[in-house]
Amino acid sequence: MKSLRWLGMIVCLPVAAITASGQQTWRVPAVTKKLANGLVVVISEDHSAPTFGLCIAYGIGFRLEPEGRTGFAHLFEHMMFEGTPEAPKGTFDRVVEGGGGWINGDTRWDFTEYIDTAPVAALDPVLWLEADRLKTLDFSPENLENQRKVVEEEVRVNMLNQPYGLFFAIDLPGKAFNKFPNAHNFYGDFRDLDAANIQDVKAFYEHYYAPNNAVLCVAGDVQPDAVLEKVEKYFGGISRRQVPPKPDVSEAPQTAERRATQSDKFATVPALAIGYRMPPRKSHDAVVGAVVGELLHNGQASLLYQALVKEKQVALSVDGGVNWPLGNPFEYDGPTLMTSFIVYPGKFKENEVLSAYDAVISGLSAKGPSSTEMDRIRTKMRSDWYGQLEIPVERASVLAHATLFDGDPQRANEIPDELANVTPEEVEAFARQYLVSKNRTIIDRVPAPGAGEKSEAGEKGAQ
Amino acid sequence: MLRFAFLVWVVILLGAVTASAAEKNKPLPKDLPPYGPLKPFTAPQVSARTLSNGLTLWLVPRPGFPKVSFAVSVRGGLASDPKDRPGLSQLITDAIDQGTKTRTARQIAEELQAAGGDLSGEALPDSIVMSTSVLSSKAEAGLTVLADVLQNATFPDSEVELAKRNAAENLRSQEADPAFLARRALAKALFANHPYSVISATQESIREATADDLRHEYGKRFRPDQAVLVAVGDFQPEKLVATVESLLGKWAAPGEPPVAVIPKPSRPAPHEIFYVERQGSVQTNILVGTLGPKRGEPDYASTRVANAIYGGMFGSRLTLNIREDKGYTYSPWSALASRRQAAILETSAAVRNEVTGASLNEIDYELNRMATTEPGPEEVSQAQRYLTGTRALELQSQAAVARELAQLWIFGLPAEELGTESARIQKVTAKDLAQVGSKYFPASKQTIVAVGEKKVIEEQLAPFGLSVEQAPKVE
Repeated sequence: MKSLRWLGMIVCLPVAAITASGQQTWRVPAVTKKLANGLVVVISEDHSAPTFGLCIAYGIGFRLEPEGRTGFAHLFEHMMFEGTPEAPKGTFDRVVEGGGGWINGDTRWDFTEYIDTAPVAALDPVLWLEADRLKTLDFSPENLENQRKVVEEEVRVNMLNQPYGLFFAIDLPGKAFNKFPNAHNFYGDFRDLDAANIQDVKAFYEHYYAPNNAVLCVAGDVQPDAVLEKVEKYFGGISRRQVPPKPDVSEAPQTAERRATQSDKFATVPALAIGYRMPPRKSHDAVVGAVVGELLHNGQASLLYQALVKEKQVALSVDGGVNWPLGNPFEYDGPTLMTSFIVYPGKFKENEVLSAYDAVISGLSAKGPSSTEMDRIRTKMRSDWYGQLEIPVERASVLAHATLFDGDPQRANEIPDELANVTPEEVEAFARQYLVSKNRTIIDRVPAPGAGEKSEAGEKGAQ
Repeated sequence: MLRFAFLVWVVILLGAVTASAAEKNKPLPKDLPPYGPLKPFTAPQVSARTLSNGLTLWLVPRPGFPKVSFAVSVRGGLASDPKDRPGLSQLITDAIDQGTKTRTARQIAEELQAAGGDLSGEALPDSIVMSTSVLSSKAEAGLTVLADVLQNATFPDSEVELAKRNAAENLRSQEADPAFLARRALAKALFANHPYSVISATQESIREATADDLRHEYGKRFRPDQAVLVAVGDFQPEKLVATVESLLGKWAAPGEPPVAVIPKPSRPAPHEIFYVERQGSVQTNILVGTLGPKRGEPDYASTRVANAIYGGMFGSRLTLNIREDKGYTYSPWSALASRRQAAILETSAAVRNEVTGASLNEIDYELNRMATTEPGPEEVSQAQRYLTGTRALELQSQAAVARELAQLWIFGLPAEELGTESARIQKVTAKDLAQVGSKYFPASKQTIVAVGEKKVIEEQLAPFGLSVEQAPKVE
């Protein structure tokens, strides 16, 4: 698991003196083809370096992992690197590292992606290996046991042995939502990870790892026709599978603010996580929400940083956004939050921090952002959005996600235009409707007595 | 006045990649297609200039992607901080953008956001680096703010007070992170009283630091004759140079001599185990290190190849052993981390408490294997191709190229290193690896740091027969 930060926007700008090309907007090329078995292929040609980036994104994330098997989607992701009958454990790494590149994977709410990047000479064998692990896996109990241990160490290093223990990403949605898919610990309870067996691995693979549940994107120094031909050759013979229909994961509307207090055995200073439920993803409001998230959280010029860290000095740091920290505001498919994660000095009380926070929110609800604030965030979001399209391996991810969730890689070029059209009035209306206390959840995480020495992290408060 | 030079184009061939060369013990799948034809990789072309005030410009124009990354490095980082103000460079980076003669902190942040960027400052052992990436259409606006911060930072008293309070809290927060505790303890154990022993401020140095301290050190280090400005991205060099001239041409170096060069550390790494107690830990963070060859020294390329084979890539011996075979850890790694005057060859693994001793045993085994046996030809070429290929991948990013060039300049190395380093990697032989293996890798030459439950560490590391002592306190 890793976290990416999102952002994005295109507006037309006057051309300054220094720029070489004088371009005002910038779009990435993308050609798309759907194979007969349902696999969607996207190619983005870019000859600026003799390299490629590849992303194959499957439409299954931890939201839909089975009850009693928390953490399974991520454990399964690890099993995808454990070899196949044709290419045993270690082969993929050997070939891609020997080709001068690397591979990785990550699991998010609604997708699991596998990413590969290397000099172009390695593209052919890498495509073959990606196709190979979509045909079958080496369903080896020994490898499952090995990766179960590895994943448990991952959970320890990133969560159980760390201050704050990712409570803003795991406990906050756990409190904010009611249904298992949206509310469970996606990194996994050890009881569930220990219970996972090789039958679970097979069943999950057969359900979700189908060409008709995947998008394959290749970006970089390639010719689209040549890539399509290879993809047809290696992936074309893989059969479609019946993918289970998506369950209804929608939540009943929240009616009251939810609060909890936790103690933390490692943290030395307290932290607050605040999550507001966001509008449905496929709505104009969701686009407005993306802008609001960045106005509030993007860097030192953001409204929250300026108010909490600089002016009132009640916070040490502020971070957050929509679908933060597990993706951008456009790459999910179910209930999500706009999260604020605020670390604050121990001499302040939760409510002092919260009232400074609320003052910023009421400012937005009362009079919206100024036009200068809007201009600035538009430019910053455009710049950040371009930033994630710079290198092939990241571009491949962004285009694959756009295709998976919106059916078209061009959405990655269009999102900036949609964001550019958001008005200060819409931001104000959004704040009034969504940034209200009955729509939010707050967890205050405070150092346990004798901070950093002992005591288990655990929830004390309740709604 | 202006010195202008185009450095040579460097072409890197990515080695003779054939599928058969990747074979280890097992054959590759019979239907696996071979690698395709090689394509040469051209290292970024750098044009260098020096302004009349001594400021070095390294420019890499790259039309297309519509952003520009700037990085400015000045000589003198954590290792040059006053003895009674360890970590002062961190406070400089915290407060440098909090006010200039004509801009408030807020204006600085907002003007940069309006250019599409953020300003980040980082205190490294030998330098302070300021960097930002902005839209190319706003390059001039971004550069204007950056130039102002470089020349006119005022370190307002109130902002310094706030930066100090926040730094104190941040340090407390970092001290909850076992990886930070391990790094800090290893630097202290390896470098003792040498300036490289300091990786962070202390509560005392933060408390004692004054705004005048910051102004003084800033004035000493931020001078054009001790700085490089690197620009990478979509710009016209002549226009950019004219803008830099107008913004930074009047930046004058003070009369006093620049920051002194740090001496090379001479003391060998102590072969001892140091623990840092962290109650409630569910893992032990093991960090093993010794002094290795610094960048620019003859052994550097060979040691990087050796490191890749040992623990520097996923298919390395260390990862295959303690992760893929034994499942002791999620994230083992090793690295050769160079400062200007010394490098640390280090190994890291966060392992569950029960396998603390077993993990160190395997790390020792793999280190000694590197020290006593020559790697096979497949392993060598695999590592060489990995290092040259991933280098090409890293240099796709403007910001990475800018940062890397700024670092080369600080190390006193030419910009051509971007290309020639990979060429040297390719020439490394198994014999070279045996030589650096016996020189740097023996387990008996390593310093060991363990962060976690004291009882766990003492019980499981006692059998190694070394002294197990509490790491020197960093106060």
